[in-house]
This record gives sequence, C-alpha cells and structure tokens, in this order.
Amino acid sequence: MRLQAALFLACLSPAAAIYPDEINHVDFHHALLGAPSADSTFFLKPSPSSNASLLYTLSDKLIVGAVNPRDGALVWRQNVSRSANSPANAGLLRGLDGNDALVGAAGSYISSWSAQDGKLGWENWVSGGVVADLELLELEDATASSGLRDTVAVINSEGTGIVKRLNGNNGRTVWEYKDASGDVPFQVSSSSTEIFYVSLQSALLKGFKIKVTALDPLSGQVTRQQILNSEADVGTPESVIYVGANSASPIIVWTDKAQKTLKVNVIGTKEVTSIAIDNTSGSDIRQITVHAPHKLNALPHFLVHYATETGAWAEVCHVDLMSGKVTKVYQLPYLPGQSAVAASVIDANVYFTRITDSEALVVSSASHGILGRWDLQKPSSDSALHSVSEVVAKGKSVAVRSALFRKHGDWQLIRNGQVEWTRHEGLIDAVAATWAESAVQEDLAHELEVEGHETVIGAYLHRVKRHARDLQYLPDWLKDLPKRILSSILTDEVSNLDSFGVAKPVLVATKNGRVYALDTGNHGAVSWGIQAVETSNWAVKAILASPGAATIYSDDGSSVTVDVSTGEIIARVEPSSSKLLAIAVLGAQDGSKLATVGVNADGSPATSFADEDGFLVTTSADGRVLGWIAKDNKIPVWEFVPPSGEKLVKATARPAHDPVASIGKVLGNRSVLYKYLNPNMALVTAVNEETHTASFYLLDGVSGKVLHATTQAGVDSTQPIASAMSENWFAYSFFGDVSGRESSAKGYQLVISELYESPSPTTVVLSTPPAFMIPEPISHMAVTQTRQGITTRLLLCTLPSSNSIVGIPRPVLDPRRPVDRDPTAAEAEEGLFRYAPYLDFDGKWYLSHTRDVAGIKDVLSSPTLLESTSLIFAYGSDIFGTRATPSQAFDILGKNFSKLQLVLTVVALGAGVAVLAPMTRRKQVNALWKI
Amino acid sequence: MSQARLPPPPPPQWVVSLNSPMPRPSKAASSIPDPPGFSSTRGKQRQQQQQQATTKKPADTDVLKMKKAWEVAIGPSKQIPMNAIMMYMSGNSLQIFSIMMVMMLFKGPIQGLINTNAAFAKYDTPSTHSRLLGVKVVYMLMQLVLLGLGIWKVNAMGLLPTTRSDWLAWESERQPLERAHFAFR
Repeated sequence: MRLQAALFLACLSPAAAIYPDEINHVDFHHALLGAPSADSTFFLKPSPSSNASLLYTLSDKLIVGAVNPRDGALVWRQNVSRSANSPANAGLLRGLDGNDALVGAAGSYISSWSAQDGKLGWENWVSGGVVADLELLELEDATASSGLRDTVAVINSEGTGIVKRLNGNNGRTVWEYKDASGDVPFQVSSSSTEIFYVSLQSALLKGFKIKVTALDPLSGQVTRQQILNSEADVGTPESVIYVGANSASPIIVWTDKAQKTLKVNVIGTKEVTSIAIDNTSGSDIRQITVHAPHKLNALPHFLVHYATETGAWAEVCHVDLMSGKVTKVYQLPYLPGQSAVAASVIDANVYFTRITDSEALVVSSASHGILGRWDLQKPSSDSALHSVSEVVAKGKSVAVRSALFRKHGDWQLIRNGQVEWTRHEGLIDAVAATWAESAVQEDLAHELEVEGHETVIGAYLHRVKRHARDLQYLPDWLKDLPKRILSSILTDEVSNLDSFGVAKPVLVATKNGRVYALDTGNHGAVSWGIQAVETSNWAVKAILASPGAATIYSDDGSSVTVDVSTGEIIARVEPSSSKLLAIAVLGAQDGSKLATVGVNADGSPATSFADEDGFLVTTSADGRVLGWIAKDNKIPVWEFVPPSGEKLVKATARPAHDPVASIGKVLGNRSVLYKYLNPNMALVTAVNEETHTASFYLLDGVSGKVLHATTQAGVDSTQPIASAMSENWFAYSFFGDVSGRESSAKGYQLVISELYESPSPTTVVLSTPPAFMIPEPISHMAVTQTRQGITTRLLLCTLPSSNSIVGIPRPVLDPRRPVDRDPTAAEAEEGLFRYAPYLDFDGKWYLSHTRDVAGIKDVLSSPTLLESTSLIFAYGSDIFGTRATPSQAFDILGKNFSKLQLVLTVVALGAGVAVLAPMTRRKQVNALWKI
Repeated sequence: MSQARLPPPPPPQWVVSLNSPMPRPSKAASSIPDPPGFSSTRGKQRQQQQQQATTKKPADTDVLKMKKAWEVAIGPSKQIPMNAIMMYMSGNSLQIFSIMMVMMLFKGPIQGLINTNAAFAKYDTPSTHSRLLGVKVVYMLMQLVLLGLGIWKVNAMGLLPTTRSDWLAWESERQPLERAHFAFR
C-alpha cells in the first residue's frame, strides 16, 4: 500500500503534461474554416513591403481566416458569427493589396481585422439593419487620413438603404446617405471619382429597375441618378449577375429571362449593351458568372463564364472607356466537364485562369493565346465550384496557383497543375465519429475464434497450418529486417507503436452526407472521403464499427455500411418511415454481436429486441426517462418524470467500455471502502428555468429507482451544464449564482461525487465535497478510457471560451479531500491533499496545449493495447486528436532510451571478453607451472 | 652393630624433576620449534585425560552440564532488548538497511530453532537427557520471542497481509444479473 502510494505520487506529479517534442507527433489538429464563399475569397498581399501573399476567406460558417498558400496552414482566423447577433446568411469580406486591413461584415456587424495577424482593428454594429454590401475605397482622397483605407457600406435597414463611409482607422462614420425611396438596397461600387450606390426599384407591374445613384466620395452628396429599364429581365435581386467592383469601369451584368442575351451596363452611363449568348452546347445554361479584375488600374476587361450541366465555356469582353461600349473579343472553347475561372491582375494586365477537370490554363485578357497550360496530375471527379488565382509572370512564361473549392468540401491549391495541398473543409460539419477497426485484425480474430472452438488437437493442427501459411511472408519480413533495425536505431522514434492500436483510423460523418476516414497515425490525414448519402442534413445517430467495416445509422432508419480501408459502400438499408430519436446499441459489452434498436420520439423502441436479460433505458422527446424489457415495446417497465417545472436537459450513463481495476479504495488505516459499481446507473440532469435550479438524479437503469438526487440552486440554465460518469463517480458543472444559504459562490462550478457501498445493501454512501470553482465554462465532459482501467482517469473537459481541451486528473478532484484542515498522515498516505475551493486549470492539463481547438461538440476516448495510453478525438467544428497518458507512458520505452548505446555497450563487453579470456587462461596455466 | 641408621639418600635428580613441575621454559627456549614428528598437544591431552580421570565424579559433571545448558538456553534472551531497541530505531520505512536487519532478526531464531538439539548435544548424557527437555523448551521459547519481535517489526512495516486491503486484489466485482442498455439523445 505504501509502495503503491509512493508510486502513485511519483506518477501524479508530471502526469498528463505534453512535452514539446510530442507536439505534432502524438496529436493533430485540423483548424477548419468552413466552405469559403465565392465572392469573399481572394489572394492578398497584406504588407506593402513584402511580395508574399496570403489567401483570405470568409466562410459559410462566418469565420474570417488567412491561409498560407504555401502549405495550407492556417495563419489566423476569427469567428465573426459570435459577434454577429442577427442571423446572417452570408458574410462579406473585402481587402486591398498593401492595405493591412480586411473589412468583414456579417448581419449587422462590421469589423476590421489586421491582414497580417488577424487582430481586431475596430468593430461596429449597425443599428437595426443588415449590411448588404461593402467596398473598400481604393483611391485615397483629401479626406482620407493616412493609414488604412476607408470603407463604404450599404445597409438595408428595413427597406431603407443607407450608404455609410466608415473611417478605416477607427470605423467611425465619415458621412451617411439615406435613400428613403423604398428601393431594395443592393450593392455599392466605386470608380476613381465616384461611389455608385446600386438599388433595385420596383417596377409598376413586376420586376425591378436598376437604379444607380452616384455619390460624391468626399461628402456623400448625390451627384446624379440613373434608372436602367431592366424590369423585363430582372425579377429578383439574384437575377443581377454581377456588379463590378472597384474596376476602372465598373459594370452591371444581367441577362434576359431566356438567357439568350447578356446585358451589360457600364455604371454611370445610361447605355445598356446587349451581347448575344452563343450557346452551341445544346443544353441549358445552368450558371453564368462574371470574373472581372478588382483593381482600379487594371484594364477594363472581363470574362463571362457559362456553365451547363455537362460542360462550360467562357467569353472575354472588353469595355471601351471612351464610348462605354462593350465588345466580345474572344471565346474560351466549350469543354465537357466542369471548369472554374478566376481573374488575376499583374500591374494593369488581366489574366484569366481556367481549371477544368483535366487541365489548367492561363490566358491574357488581351488576346486568346494560351500563356500556360498544365495537365492536372490527379484529375478529380469532384466538380469545382469556384476558384481564385494568382498569376506570376516570369518573362514570357507564367506560373499560376489557384485555390479551388470543390463541391464536396475540399479546398485545394493547384500550382501549375500540381495539387500542393488540400484542406478538407467539409470536416467542419462533423456530426458523429467513431474509431474503426481494420480488417487485418478481423482475419486474426476469426482464426483465433476457430481455434478456440475446435478440439485441442484440431486447434493445434489449425495453428500449425496457420503458421505454415504465414511462412510465405517470411522472405519479405527478412528483407525488411535490416531496414527496420537500422531505422529503429537511427530514428528518433524508439518504438513504432502503430501495432499497439495507437494508429486506429477514425470515421467521421458530416452533416452533408459525407464520410471521411482520418488516419490518426499520420497526423490525422484524410485517407478517403465519400459521399455516402445525398442530403444536406444527415442526422447520424450511431456509428457501429466492426472489424473492416462500419455502419452509420441515421435518424430515418436508414444505414450505410462502408469499408474502412477503401471507403467503398458495402451495404445500404433504405429508410423506414418513422423518425428515430436515438439508436440503442445492444450487446456492446463484449464487443461482439452488436445489434441496434431504434427509439421513437415517444421513447418507445421501434422494434422489440431479443436480449433476454437486457433492459433498455431511453429518453423521450418530451423529457421522460423510460425503462423497457425485451419482450414489450409498448408499455415501459418504469418511467421517470422530472418534477413539474423541470425540464430534462441531459442524460448520461457509464461508457460501454469502463473496466474497473480495483473494486475498492484502500484507506490510510488499511481498511477498504468498496466502490458502488453498478453498470446500470444513469445520471439525469433536469433544470427548472423559473426557480433557477438544476437537479441531478442518479437512476438505476433496471429498476428505475432514484439512487440519489441533488438540487443546485441559482443555476443559470442558459449556460452549458455538462456531466459525465465513470466507474463509481459522476461529475457535473454549471454556472451557479449566489442564492440564499445553499450557495455562496458565483461562478462556474464543478462538482464530483463518488459512490461507495454501505454496510446495508439498500443504500449508497455518497461522498460529495463542496464544489470546485473553475475559471471558465465546460461545454462537454468525457472520461479517458484505457484497456484495463488501471491508469488514472482524466476528466476531459471542453472549454469553449478558450477553445481548448483540458484533462483534469481524477485524484485532484477527489471528493474526500479534507476541507479546512491539513490532511492527517493516513490521509496523506492515500494521496489526499487539502481541499482548495478554486480549481485553477494547470497548464500541464491542457491536452490541446497552445492549439486553438474551436467549436468542439464531442470528445471521444478509446483504449489502446497499451494500458498507459488512451486515444482522444474531438470533433464538432475543428478536428483534434491526441494520445493521453494520464499516468505517464509507463509501458513504453522513453525517447531517451538509446538502442544504439545499448548495442554498443553489448558489443564493447563482448570484445572485452574476447580479448581478456586468452590472457587470463595463459596466466592461470603459467601460475600452475611456477611452483 | 651400632651402625647408626643413615638418613635416606636424597632422591635422585630424575625423581625430583619428575615430582616438581617443569620450570617455565625461557623465552628463547619456547621459540625453539618442536622437532619434527613431535606434537606438544599430545602431552597436554594426556595430562588432561589424566586429570579428568582423576577428577571424574559423575554427579558433579551433570550439575555442571545443566548449569551450562541453562546458560545456553537463557542466552538468546539477552539479545532481546538490544534487538528491540534496534528495530524500534530503524523505522518502519522500506529501506535496504531495515530490511536487512529484519532478515537477520529472522535468520537467527530460525537457525537456532533448527539447531536446538545440536546446541545441547554436548550436555546430553543419558543422565541429563530428561532434565534437558525443560531447558530446551525455555531455549525455544526464547527464540520464539525473538521471532515474535521480528514479526512485530514486519507487521509495523506493513508487510503482513493482515488487513482487508491486502486481499482486495482477489475480490471480484459484483456482476449484476440484468444489464441495461442506454439510448439517450
């Protein structure tokens, strides 16, 4: 016991700390942005002194981010949706070369961010409106202060259009123009001399007329107004294809309803040029996009891209600055398949990059000669949605890099036809994940199973045969041996732990019907991604992994079985009619023969289940907890309804794999406190929003009996209440306010309780300390799992306000820590130390260390073959995976273990013996003769 | 014959030498090595045998033997205070020094107990045999006291599986007959 205590203390002190050389080795992180939006993604040189550019975007998740185009690493990101209080469909992001400020808008929120490091410059909330468009003024004028460029924003404030010029340095309003005519505020554009406010005026019968109001950039005074007769063509604001931004001759582009003619107006002029659309493809045009340079000094050329279902072509047009005429100059030919076009500018020259399924090519806007053409190394079947490009001219030849966003959520950088990196932004929508088991283990497991069921002699013969069969791998193994020995001696990695189940693949299912396999042994690289289901809202309820395959169950009763190693869909079950609330997994205890039972919204099992001694505990949509037996799926055996006024918010149970190494706790006086180990316990959290209380009920899942109930007063039910259960303890956290006599502390609290057997068999002794005050909210709790449960457990807490994951060692949270006194010698022997109400998260506990792990909704833990090591995988928005060794890696050779030194020592000893042995022998013989 | 009776002649020199003890050899003489084949102890042994033979009185030797045997039997008890103090001072922590001391403490009494008969073999005669039984019992008791001291020490060090916690590893978890499966949202 004393020895145990000493060992335990030795293990505890540096527990769970992550060493610098383990970063990026044991853990990986996908810092995701979401799908970049087409008009808010661009290459930009953040600093006027440097030629290096970064790739900026505002995603559909309203995250502003900068990505290094060299390797795809995230430079910085900011979540705008936290500040945008009104729901916004799409955000806007604008930037200018050499201007160290990006201006983004989402809903009523406008903010300016430093382009280099993502620091906030200023922020503004538009009262009672939504930002409709945003432009940065490229040209400096007399009123512009030195420093950052000013912003012009169009605000749609309940039908009234407001144009505001905001100071680039502090975001204050320079001038404001109100358009009270009732037009729909649409966009803003600027030329070198004027700001154009484009609004849509309802025509008498139907459709919209495009109204252009020219404003003086200095004062915001209206200089002139023009109304274009577009009501026959423009039915909705979406019908206007393009409003050219910040080019020398900004344009408005729309088409007629039949998509036969393209209509172009140079803003500021009255004239509308019609260009006939030359559709030779034979199918309808699905999408028309206009790509024009955004720089003021660029040539007034633009490209119109026509995409049909099967192919695409493009036309390049020039604007005559004198007459305002638009002429078609040349055409990029129709090619089957998808293509994405982007415009880029070097000095004044405009280049267009077109990436099709098989090649990338660059043309100048001036002539149709192809400047560069590259075959794509890996043609993708995934169609490209949009791209941005950066062209570099080297003498006569050009080099191009394009950031291409594909339909299935991959953001790729293609440099001269080569895929440089891929960011799997689709992972941001992860809704469920699980560890997969590879098929190799399945074969062996199957063989072992056969051997287990045969007679002794039969099993022996089977085994001999199996080993004989394995001999065919011997030559390869021998061939590989020298390399393995060399590499194991020379490399930093002492032992490759992949064979210990440390490098298990993880399957992630996303909301839009995709399934990804992440290789945790290889920095979480995506090994495959498939579109399992064509849906935009895939409610995955459970993923069951069997060796070599995984089945994903959805709430409509359908399921998809995929091959773990290749991503092939093996089987598919069509949806049944009813919506399921949850899916119960039966027989998970021994890991074999998994069966599932759907749970209806009223909590009843959809089918009766055949597990004789099994009980099923479900929750219903209206907040009841129900218990069922196998034969009856109509009437529950028991029902738990929270007291009136209380609403069930969460229910948790012990994990399916929760081995207990020791069934009791040894006290200082060597007596034993037996743990109350009931695998059927469930912890139910219910809140009363009116009286601000939170109740925690501990239920027995078989009898439905309430084992324990506690109520916390002054709980803010809008803040996250997380709970977790393992072994004989449960923990929960909440935001508690000062209320009456029960609680005298205001702040986030963490309570942990342990359950022990009492002498009488009917009761449970509960050990509950005063709560721990914690510095920040916990949104999700989980517990590490190891193979045998010997290793200390960590309480994995997701901290949403600091975007990190912390693993609190269980001994720190011991509820038996002495309160208001120092521990006695016996208590100290148990490892108890004085209770301190304030629990500061130790820096060593942070599993995510310096990483910014944002938006985590769920944390999974999985045992490995190594008792010391537990795998952790977090998903929700970012993807984060690591290995935790709560009691240090006691069963792995450390990095300071030098195999080379060991080998050299043995060799040196052998050499010494070989040299000394004859000498000694000669001496002994001589001694005999010397009498 | 008035021949006066002459006093008896003085005994010859060899008689005088025989009856008087040999003078102590001088230092120089004692350093002279014995001649080859001469063993000085042989003479002594013969002397002792002669002495024993002359002083042999069976009753007296039995008393003497019993006295000696009692001394041997009581002998271990003299170690008890010293050992007790040593054990008390050495502390209850598990260190190489205290472990070695405890091992010595066990080794002595156990060896003593095994060699009980050997220890009293030289006092064992047919006449003392029955009386020696009590002595042996006392001797064994003394050794057991020493052993008890060792056990007390081992217990104090926490090495004896006397508490519930020592048997915890052999107790198994209670397995419920029913198992509930949970399906929470």
